[in-house]
Amino acid sequence: MLSSGRHLGVADVVGSNLDWTVQLDEVRVGFGPKQILKGISANLPKGKVTAIIGPTGCGKTTLLRSINRLHDRRPGFNLKGRILLDGESIYAGSTDVRELRRRVGMLFQRPNPFPQSIRENISLGARIHGLWSRADVSTKTEYLLREVGLWDAVHDRLSSTPFSLSGGQQQLLCMARVLAVEPNVLLLDEPTSSLDPHSTTRIEELIAGLKEKMTVIFVTHNLQQAARCADEILFLEQGEVVEQAPVKQFFDDPADPRSRAYISGWAV
Amino acid sequence: MRDLLRRGRDMLFWGLCLLALALVIAPSLAIIASLLQQSWPALNINLFTNTTATNGLQNAILGSLLLMAGILVVAGPIGIAGGIYLAEFAPPTRAGILRLGYETLAGIPSIIIGFVGYIVLAQELHWGFSLLAAILALSAIVLPYVVKTTEVALLQVPATLRDAAVALGLPRITTLRRALLPPAIPAIASGVVVALAIAVGETAPLLYTVGFTSQDPTLSLFQHPIGYLTYVVYLNATLPTKLEHEVAGAAGLLILVMLLALIGLGRLVARRAARYAAQLPS
Repeated sequence: MLSSGRHLGVADVVGSNLDWTVQLDEVRVGFGPKQILKGISANLPKGKVTAIIGPTGCGKTTLLRSINRLHDRRPGFNLKGRILLDGESIYAGSTDVRELRRRVGMLFQRPNPFPQSIRENISLGARIHGLWSRADVSTKTEYLLREVGLWDAVHDRLSSTPFSLSGGQQQLLCMARVLAVEPNVLLLDEPTSSLDPHSTTRIEELIAGLKEKMTVIFVTHNLQQAARCADEILFLEQGEVVEQAPVKQFFDDPADPRSRAYISGWAV
Repeated sequence: MRDLLRRGRDMLFWGLCLLALALVIAPSLAIIASLLQQSWPALNINLFTNTTATNGLQNAILGSLLLMAGILVVAGPIGIAGGIYLAEFAPPTRAGILRLGYETLAGIPSIIIGFVGYIVLAQELHWGFSLLAAILALSAIVLPYVVKTTEVALLQVPATLRDAAVALGLPRITTLRRALLPPAIPAIASGVVVALAIAVGETAPLLYTVGFTSQDPTLSLFQHPIGYLTYVVYLNATLPTKLEHEVAGAAGLLILVMLLALIGLGRLVARRAARYAAQLPS
């Protein structure tokens, strides 16, 4: 339906909001005088996995963090254009930023559990957002830990520190923590770059299962992973969209010569 | 030959390290040894049961403890709250002005703070020699340390932890309480301990604000001078008899013991606060 989002503004797709969870309309992001994103327009499909790829420094992570307003407190941050979530501008003055961040969950490059017990790590967000009552904590914690495949490893030490877990287990715990607040969109910033192959596989399986319930957008440097997990590829270079295409089309027959060069670099 | 040279350089380096270590430790050991030698004959139960009027230290010990408790209550919360505000909430310009303020305060000699305390609190406000004036003067001296250590401790918490809490939509207070403070508490506790250690060793500002008395302290905040250990060291060293010199040594030794107890307490607090932190097993 959409092979290239390069020059496509949101105005072009008004009326088809139901198909898109996140719409980027000429998004320009900078910090002070330095411009990182130079007019990104793209529509990220609902219930699909979109992989954002591109060379180091092309603005992948900057774009991802803009989608749940993680740059807000950074000095010099400026954004032009619009980012729409389910048709509503997330940088509008009326946006409830905390609720936005609940709806747009994020998993980071390195696991970052809170210095609280394993149980509190999972329940804290859900309790604060009023999604769980005190009585829910033990059953829902168990459900989520089973969902991410961590229950057997931690069921007898829910009150212990999460830092005694392996890096992969900590990342799965962070995934459970994000899922506990029931997001509609899940942002993943190279979530497996610091993990062992077993944990990487587990995260990839989770991504595949999650797209039934939510839209997944992930940044990766690993093109094989993008090919395995994504339905759609958004390829950036120097803060601009080079190409957006379904995964098979992108890897088999990219429309832009820069995409072809990037992929062949990987193949070599 | 080159191997021999390398080994020689290694040994020289380690030798210099050990020498530096010895130079650091030796004065501390020498001070403890000299205080022990000086105070040995006076170290008995009378120190704790008699007041300074009869060559004991009861009133001075109680007075010093009371001052420390007061500083903990005043400078502790204000300093920690100030550090949290600077690290987490203050806009950059306001933070810059506040930092300049506490850095200036840290640079003012303690005797001047004592003198201002005397003019403003003891005279203008008619508090006389009073416990509260002393606590406020000492708190003003140690406040910059508490603010600075709290601010630095929070700024050293990894940004990834802050990101995780913000990305989850947690309110700023919850982020602070559940994500940022636990790993920062050991450093904050050390800051408070250093502040108390500085306070317990001060004499000059106390001369101006709380005077000295040989009577046991009361909990009255105004118009009552109290005794404290550093003054005994200062005064008794100038008195003629051997017993008085021994009591001065004992007071010095007790100050050291208090410092060690404070350091121990600080470590205990840090350990307890860090029970979920990465460095300690569960």
